[in-house]
Amino acid sequence: MVLIQAIIDGILVGTTYALIGIGFTLIFGVMHKLNLAFAAASIAGAFISLMAWQSLKWLPVPVVFLIAAIGAGALGYFIYLTCFRFIPLKSPLATLMATVGMLIFLDEVITHISDGKAQDYPGMLPTARWAFGGLDIRVDYVLVFVISMAAMLVLLAVLYRTRLGIATRAVAQQPVAAQLCGISLDRTNAATFVMSGMLGGLAGAMIGSSAELLSNLLPLQLTVKGLIVTVIGGLGSIPGAIVAGLLVGAFEKGIETWSVLARDLCVMLLIFVFLVAKPAGIFGKLNVRD
Amino acid sequence: MLELRGLSKHFGGVRAVDGLDLTVREGEIVGLIGPNGSGKSTTVNLICGVFPVTSGAIAFRQHDITTAPPHRCLALGIARTFQNIRLFNELSVWQNLWVAQNSAKHRKERGFLGRWVGGRGQARRSVERYLEFSALAAKRDEMAGNLSFGEQRRLELARALAAEPELLLLDEPAAGMNHEEVGQLADRIRALKADGKTVVLVEHVMELVMGVTERIAVLNFGRKIAEGTPAEIQANPAVREAYLGTGAKV
Amino acid sequence: MDYIYGLAQTIGVHTILGLSAYIVLQTGQVTMAQAAFYAIGAYIAAMATTLWGLDIVVAIVAAAAVSGAVAALAGFPALRFKGLLLVVATMALSEAIREFFFNFDYQIAVGDLKVGPAGAEGFRQIRYFYERGWTTLQVAGFIWIFVAGIMLFLWWLDRSRLGAVLRAVGEDELAAQSVGINLTAVKVSAFALGGAIAGIGGALYGHYTTHIEHGAFNVITATFAIAYPILGGLSSVFGTLIAVIFIQGLLIQGLPMLIGGELRNLLFGLLILLAMNIRPRGLIDERVARMLTGLFRAKPGSPHA
Repeated sequence: MVLIQAIIDGILVGTTYALIGIGFTLIFGVMHKLNLAFAAASIAGAFISLMAWQSLKWLPVPVVFLIAAIGAGALGYFIYLTCFRFIPLKSPLATLMATVGMLIFLDEVITHISDGKAQDYPGMLPTARWAFGGLDIRVDYVLVFVISMAAMLVLLAVLYRTRLGIATRAVAQQPVAAQLCGISLDRTNAATFVMSGMLGGLAGAMIGSSAELLSNLLPLQLTVKGLIVTVIGGLGSIPGAIVAGLLVGAFEKGIETWSVLARDLCVMLLIFVFLVAKPAGIFGKLNVRD
Repeated sequence: MLELRGLSKHFGGVRAVDGLDLTVREGEIVGLIGPNGSGKSTTVNLICGVFPVTSGAIAFRQHDITTAPPHRCLALGIARTFQNIRLFNELSVWQNLWVAQNSAKHRKERGFLGRWVGGRGQARRSVERYLEFSALAAKRDEMAGNLSFGEQRRLELARALAAEPELLLLDEPAAGMNHEEVGQLADRIRALKADGKTVVLVEHVMELVMGVTERIAVLNFGRKIAEGTPAEIQANPAVREAYLGTGAKV
Repeated sequence: MDYIYGLAQTIGVHTILGLSAYIVLQTGQVTMAQAAFYAIGAYIAAMATTLWGLDIVVAIVAAAAVSGAVAALAGFPALRFKGLLLVVATMALSEAIREFFFNFDYQIAVGDLKVGPAGAEGFRQIRYFYERGWTTLQVAGFIWIFVAGIMLFLWWLDRSRLGAVLRAVGEDELAAQSVGINLTAVKVSAFALGGAIAGIGGALYGHYTTHIEHGAFNVITATFAIAYPILGGLSSVFGTLIAVIFIQGLLIQGLPMLIGGELRNLLFGLLILLAMNIRPRGLIDERVARMLTGLFRAKPGSPHA
């Protein structure tokens, strides 16, 4: 029973991992490069909202979350400019390194802002519980689930029902042809970074509110976990990232009931199993060419 | 020397190569022609182990190389050039030739230490020879990426030769060449035959194929539709139809 | 002066770490695992001298051997992953090994003290140099003997046929295979060699800091390892050295004196951003490397060495 409870909690919270995974995979799908700074930017957005909340105590909680999303979205654009826009395509190592530089930079900034300590973050009805057939479900986890799912649906709607979305998918598949059709590569890519940034910022806010704490250790932890989710789901696959996010969330919480110490080690083992058995990921296709 | 038996390669539903039988005798220059998409380059890739074979067999000097990976094929004595030149652009001309000396013959001559630890001295004579052959001696320290197109083509061929193979698979070596260059290439290929090498030439440039080969196999949709001397092939109506379609008046 | 010697130690060890990634990067494998082999080297060597009383050189050799062996083992599955997938796979490996050391508890009594790795707290009292009264200068010199040796070895390797083969594999695997290069042998060997070098670096690191713990071998360290050679340029070992000197020297010596000590990593991050935009192929890219070797070469026309 405890296990089922844990798995449910894991699925609910796993939506945040899914959001981070989607962010990585979206950028990879469109630019065929990894933005290693994505998770850090997401948490940075959350920290921006934290600072806003700390200075303007009267801000309603949903606005705080919105600030996180907007802040991370802006950071996404900044990352696009500094790491992708001006670096020539034939230097993939250079863009990778640039995002690494950004990761290091953001991680340090966050450490400085937080003074090396975890900071309090607003929660959503943190004490409310639903009793449900022997299970004790946290209302705030459910809210996280609902909000994150809603965000994913909005993203999918944008991708499949708007012109921007079509442009994004076109650029992902055939950048040259897309340009020939009059699509501005620069604006589309920038929009992709802003969209994924906003998702990430929301994820950061959700993670913070579910623990009522924003930890300065989150950027690195989330980078590793986010990449694991992305790879398990398949590089470039959004449905894969969603499924993998829930899977990893459930797996993590499940292992925790057995041993908290073993938790991270087991997540590593999980990705090794996937890398060995199905390196392309759940929904991915292994590209023969680099 | 080289024998393909019922060689087939399917990419999903597409039969790139379909039951190909081909025999190449030692010392021959054999041409492999056909319209675009007929499976010529795929055949080369199959022989060299770049693609896994769907069915059929490939034998080289009685060795079964159907599943042999590319580096093993080279060690046995088969070298190839690429249609769209794959030089090591960041290495010098000299280095491009140097790294190719991996055949069984080289292994025996130089031993493990000689091949890896030995400096340029040991390989100098051998590499110099190929620099001379391809008229690139003056550019030996130039980065391959900086060469002109013609020079790159020559280097591509020289690199395959530097591996001192017995069988050479040339994949459209004359693409983009002008008349004079094609003539020079033809001379070089004839020189290879005089040197005892066997050549399989995949080509579109008919001037080269008809002028240099002794025997030609024609592919269409992955199948061999004709085989014979250049004169026979030129007169063959099935070949004309494959290239020009029915109803053309030539 | 002691401060300068301490800086020399740091630069030396970081150069070794960077060089360990240099050789793997040449084969086109972007590895985030160097921090893991660095860690293994550090723990093995520290245990060798502190728990089992071995000589420091023996300890370093043991560290290199074990790290190299583990890297060789990891190198085989690594073959299956191309490009960015390898980045994530090696990152996961690095984290897994760090987690291992986070839980690693193995203490024995030496004299009347209990010493050894103590899980999250790490491994304290690696006092080999102190017990033998080595000065900071002597330790720095000792470290730099290894740095010089490794640099010489890699410099020679670059000019040898194996060096050209490594770069050929890094540039175009299909072409490399087609000229007879055995990809598996080359890539796994590079991985193993990189691991061994990282092990040496870790061994030296553990002994001059006297205290190692899992947090020193995290993702950030792994990124430092590849940052040095990428920033310095993959065409020359000197590029890596210059990158380390520039970053550690500039960031530790220069700017903190103006701005204040703890902004080291922050500036590193910014520096990387700037460098990748201005010189994406590194400080010493192929053109500069050729220019430099040209300066040392005999006059044009005469046969080169």
